Amino acid sequence: MARVSRWLVAVPMAALALATVYPLVFTTNVALKTRREYVLDRFSPADSPRADNLSTAWNSVGLARYFANSLIVVLCAVALLLLIGSMAGFALGRLRFRGSRALFLGCLAALFVPFQVIMVPLSRTLTTFGLIDTYPGLILAYVAQFLPFTIFLMASYYAHVPTEVVDAARIDGNTLFGVYRRVMLPLGTPALISVGILNTLFCWNDVLIALLVMPSAEHRTLMVGVTSLRGQYSDDIPTFAAGVLIAAVPMLVIYLFFQRQIAQGVTAGATKG
Amino acid sequence: MPTGSTPAIDPVPRRATRRRNAERLAPYVLVAPAVLVVVVLRLYPLVLGVNFSFTGDGDSDGTAVGLDNYVTLMGDPLFVGALRNVGLLVALLPVAVAIPGLLATFIYLRVPGHRIFRSVYFFPAVLSPVIVGAIFTLLLAFDGPLNALLGSVGLGPVDWLGDPDVAIFMVVGVHVWATFGMALVVFLAGFATLDTSLLDAARIDGAALPRIIWHVIVPGLSRTIQFVFVTTMIGMLTSMFGLLYVMTSGGPGGATYLPEYYIWIQQGQLNRPALASAAATVLFLVMVVVGLLQVSVLRRSGRED
Repeated sequence: MARVSRWLVAVPMAALALATVYPLVFTTNVALKTRREYVLDRFSPADSPRADNLSTAWNSVGLARYFANSLIVVLCAVALLLLIGSMAGFALGRLRFRGSRALFLGCLAALFVPFQVIMVPLSRTLTTFGLIDTYPGLILAYVAQFLPFTIFLMASYYAHVPTEVVDAARIDGNTLFGVYRRVMLPLGTPALISVGILNTLFCWNDVLIALLVMPSAEHRTLMVGVTSLRGQYSDDIPTFAAGVLIAAVPMLVIYLFFQRQIAQGVTAGATKG
Repeated sequence: MPTGSTPAIDPVPRRATRRRNAERLAPYVLVAPAVLVVVVLRLYPLVLGVNFSFTGDGDSDGTAVGLDNYVTLMGDPLFVGALRNVGLLVALLPVAVAIPGLLATFIYLRVPGHRIFRSVYFFPAVLSPVIVGAIFTLLLAFDGPLNALLGSVGLGPVDWLGDPDVAIFMVVGVHVWATFGMALVVFLAGFATLDTSLLDAARIDGAALPRIIWHVIVPGLSRTIQFVFVTTMIGMLTSMFGLLYVMTSGGPGGATYLPEYYIWIQQGQLNRPALASAAATVLFLVMVVVGLLQVSVLRRSGRED
């Protein structure tokens, strides 16, 4: 592109970049204002930025409780996803055994079954096992939802590990489980980090599955909690904004530190698929 | 399917045979938990749900009612409206793909600031639809900042989320705002595999940018474009619930219903799981049809080039 036209393109792109960031900047600013300040002027920077709204949202609104709920569920679900997903990914991506092809295709097929389509029967099944409105129920629902994707990514990662690596480890006297634990898990670290972060994002950000599986007020996850704020604080926008900000911060931190891994995970499906 | 348990037949098993047996079963043990979860909680429910859609709700729970639920769906203005909105999404799909595609092209061609653009554009993609929805509910409120801004330059207030003709476009627009960074990153990964010699040749010949895009970039990235089309459509059909739930609750007057929201209302609020299952089956069919159509259309256009 010619020099001038490059800049002609860069200006609207910069405007778009601003439009991408501004809504969150605006929300942050509102969260630091008093109600009075907000009503008087919505855009001006907060006079004396105060954390009052944040502590109100955290304590009296109950976001602390919801935050803990989310943390428990997300940590357990991601740990299980990585364990089960890497075991299956190793077996389906690197080993050839009777039925392995069919099992892999079965997992791929599950990738194309969206949650909405199975949510009625799934909630019935979970009710049957007494898992509705329990932590294990939601953890299991998340594992089921994101496992096919996890297996797919781990299998395509392990498929690139040379066969010699597995053979050498077996000649050294390792059983298959030994190969998995001593060779495949350490080798898979980059993929595990990438998949783990993506799964953390998916689980943390979900609202539909949490609403369906863990509906009671004391069991609300953070995202379900934020949706309930809307009605309660419709006349106290700064507190509402503070709650939204608290819920967004963990993923923003993850984005700042792991941007590359997230992008790798997102693109893995496109380039390997 | 083989199970993970080892039958103990030999009363005095020699360690070597036992170990060989265990080794033969090892792959199955490794996949067993995954297969169990996927089959019981993903594939079996699909079958169960389709079956379920042919039974009744309430008093006729469990009894076969044939296609009654589907007839009810087609007579429900909310569901028909949801399908009409799906049509709108399909119509808007090329725009939702072209925006990140074009931006990725400019970033690939290194416009000034391309590094910053790349990471800034991606950032809303990590935010939950709930967060995004909540922020835009603030911004788009009738007495909110956007209307205040418009008012200060003399433009009348618009009821962004309360006007049935406007609300659906707002929700889709916010969805695109929140997700175009994902598609952008996928496009950039595609560009990394693009054959640069053709691009260089076109540039030396002095071809204009639109011609380069149409004759070099689009054919070169056909697989990536196809992937983005399919994933964007799936995203529009299955990950807008959070936005709808927070921003409009399907309103005003059902104007922003999508099938996934309809399923949620019937199952979670109105206790009509069989009807919800029928709607879910329709949604699944829509997704299969749209996916196959897109793949075949793109494949044909790829062949003509």
